[in-house]
Amino acid sequence: MPVTNIPASSVVLHKQTLCRGCRICELVCSATHDGACSTQLSRIHIAADDFAFAFPAVICRQCKTAECHAACPYPGRALCIDPDTGARYIDERECDGCGACADACPLRRTPIWEKTGSDPRVYIKCDLCRGIDGGPQCVLMCPWDALTYKQKRGP
Amino acid sequence: MTAPLGGWAGQILRVDLTGRQTRTVPTSPYLPDFIGGKGIATRIAWEELAPGTEPYSPDNLLMLMTGPFSGTLAPTSGKGTVCAVSPRTLPKPWFTYGGMGGNWTPELKYAGYDGIVINGAANEPVYLWINDGEVELRSARDLWGKDVFETQELLKARHGKATQVICIGPAGENRVVSATVHHRQKNCAGMSGFGAVMGSKNLKAIAIRGTGAVRIADPAGFVEACKKVHRLVHAGPTETPVRMQMGPTNVPCAHACPFGCATRSHDVSLKLGSKGGRKNIAVMCNGEAYEGGWKWYQYPTPDMEAEYTGELRTRAVDGLGKQAGDELQLQIEALGLSGWTYLTLRCWFLACLDHGVTELEGLELRPTDVDFWIELFRMIAYREGLGDLLADGLLPACERLDLPAIVKKTARWLEPMWGFPSHRDGRACEPQPSPLWVFDMLHWAIDSRDPLASHHQTGYIHCWFPPHFEGGSALVDRKKLEATFTRVFGEPGILEPGFEHLDAKTRVTKWFDDRAQLKDSLLLCDWVFPRVLNGFDSAEALQAADDYYGDIDAEASMLAPLTGIPFTSADLDRAGERIRNLDRALQIRNHGRSRVVDAAAEWVFEYPEKSDGSKLDQPLFDRILDSYYANRGWDLTSGWPTRAKLEELGLADVADELERLEGLAAPDRGDARPGPEERG
Repeated sequence: MPVTNIPASSVVLHKQTLCRGCRICELVCSATHDGACSTQLSRIHIAADDFAFAFPAVICRQCKTAECHAACPYPGRALCIDPDTGARYIDERECDGCGACADACPLRRTPIWEKTGSDPRVYIKCDLCRGIDGGPQCVLMCPWDALTYKQKRGP
Repeated sequence: MTAPLGGWAGQILRVDLTGRQTRTVPTSPYLPDFIGGKGIATRIAWEELAPGTEPYSPDNLLMLMTGPFSGTLAPTSGKGTVCAVSPRTLPKPWFTYGGMGGNWTPELKYAGYDGIVINGAANEPVYLWINDGEVELRSARDLWGKDVFETQELLKARHGKATQVICIGPAGENRVVSATVHHRQKNCAGMSGFGAVMGSKNLKAIAIRGTGAVRIADPAGFVEACKKVHRLVHAGPTETPVRMQMGPTNVPCAHACPFGCATRSHDVSLKLGSKGGRKNIAVMCNGEAYEGGWKWYQYPTPDMEAEYTGELRTRAVDGLGKQAGDELQLQIEALGLSGWTYLTLRCWFLACLDHGVTELEGLELRPTDVDFWIELFRMIAYREGLGDLLADGLLPACERLDLPAIVKKTARWLEPMWGFPSHRDGRACEPQPSPLWVFDMLHWAIDSRDPLASHHQTGYIHCWFPPHFEGGSALVDRKKLEATFTRVFGEPGILEPGFEHLDAKTRVTKWFDDRAQLKDSLLLCDWVFPRVLNGFDSAEALQAADDYYGDIDAEASMLAPLTGIPFTSADLDRAGERIRNLDRALQIRNHGRSRVVDAAAEWVFEYPEKSDGSKLDQPLFDRILDSYYANRGWDLTSGWPTRAKLEELGLADVADELERLEGLAAPDRGDARPGPEERG
């Protein structure tokens, strides 16, 4: 599928100036998607610096250019586009774990792609909490309003 | 029991520093009865810690424990517990506990451990490196002597930025009794001198990296329960009836905390450690007191002056100002010392000056000068001159100094029980109107340290009382507040000033104490749980509320889906009571605890409370303690748990051992009680 034909996506945005590093976003993400609490299983990662009190986040940008989708050997089957939100998501049943999506990502080699302590063949990425009531759970539970859900306009 | 489905990691890391060996043991023998944290640590101490074990003996067990909630979405679950025989406690060293927040408990759980139990002593400085399943003791020769910030930065540089580090500073290495076990900035188990225990074991640091996960038995149920509890505690700790206004400088002091209630971060242009300017984070009340001072130290207050006949007089502590206050806080912290020491010492030095003592061991007392303090704390950490004396604690130092009796008595006044600073007893420090000081007095009387660091929930009821000393709202309706307590506990009069309804009051005190044990075992923040009182989003919501009930079932509502064990609040109340009774038995067997020792707490309450003038005498104290013991199922004469109570809690083996002990010796008559000349 040519890059230009990929629909835009909604996206979760993180505001570093409001974030306080409580990491509740990581915990609800992993609990919701993997049924376990882990900062490593989370699709959002707070790269906290305990001494500088700086809390930058690594979070999927749901790129317009969707390099992950373009790189996937099975686009639309393993790396899919959600028709409602536009989320670029992995269908874990179809993914064979080749890692092409993660390699193509502008945020490659950040913790948001690593799935440790679980099936190492399957990569993870933010799916905007597809099929979960209330939309992205990290946004829902952030106590600081540091996370916002920017919904795409139109189809 | 068989391994539960979620919550616990399932194994405890045992470290023998003498033999330089590590191994793991299953957590399951302690479950579900002892929950985690302090509960499991106390059980291990009961099984393994021999009576008479000295704090610096290699046989002392240093235990750093997590709980089933650690590393999970449960709000404020980033707290950990440290337990050991303490070098600080008076009249003698005994087993006690301390707590701290931060990110080390989740990291330890993700590495696969519910706790670390350390015995022995290394023959050279070492640190423990836990990298998931790989555990190593490494040389710490290059770290020895470094401050707590440098140590953490060096280990993070070596093992990766995500590594969480617990360490000691020079004060711990030099066995100062107020030395902290330190983590990040401002997270420390600070009061019980466990830094000195760690130093005596030649253990400089513990570095942890964990990449695993905490399993959840019923993920959907757990997330739903956590969301409800997050909404419940959204308004902040129960210190604030109306939602606290969190500014941009509030930073949570622990993992998964949704408020950062008592913290402020800001830049300090101070050269410390390996880096230049550092941000300070002022945490909690003592952080504020460095900068702004603490008026609460004044005794008697101007209102009391006309009635007051005692000779004890202390002055308010003035602030050092923002810059100097921050500098001093960071210096003390960097050395690995407890920040509370400054406040007590400052108030005491003012009393020294008032009574003509202007120098000690050749050091001129200049308590308003920040440079004096920076030098003094360096001397304490490195045990030089007066610092060497104070490194053993204020009261032991007083015994060795030639001082007027009133100056020595003032030291006792400032650290009235077990060698810990006055805290929410309503006398030397914060006001605590009747009947709330009675609750706190009973916590103090039976505990092994300052209990109020673990019982803030009782301490904070006063924020709902006029005249609202802190954080409270003038909109609180006292009738609604009392009605809430009546409904929750099934009896009226609990919050009524005075000593009526004593049985109900002591029964509620027991409940709060049991829940404090539970909270130190789960682990959660005691500023937030248990949630008898709600927090409201706005003043309007507070006014509109029929009553102020929070949700005392919040803990069980999260623990059951997490673990897959159908815990109810009644189960958790019982677990808290079990842990308290086990601790009591341990204090009796190992340290000769008895009613006589408990009663050493009484003298300070003969002084009038500083906001309402209420006080007691010894017969009244005895009546209150009788009532409390009766509600606890403890023998009124000895203060020992009865066999019936221990059996009811599933502690028949503990009852057997106490019975054997009873045959051997009468309860220690205790050396804690002050002589008549020392009494007010």
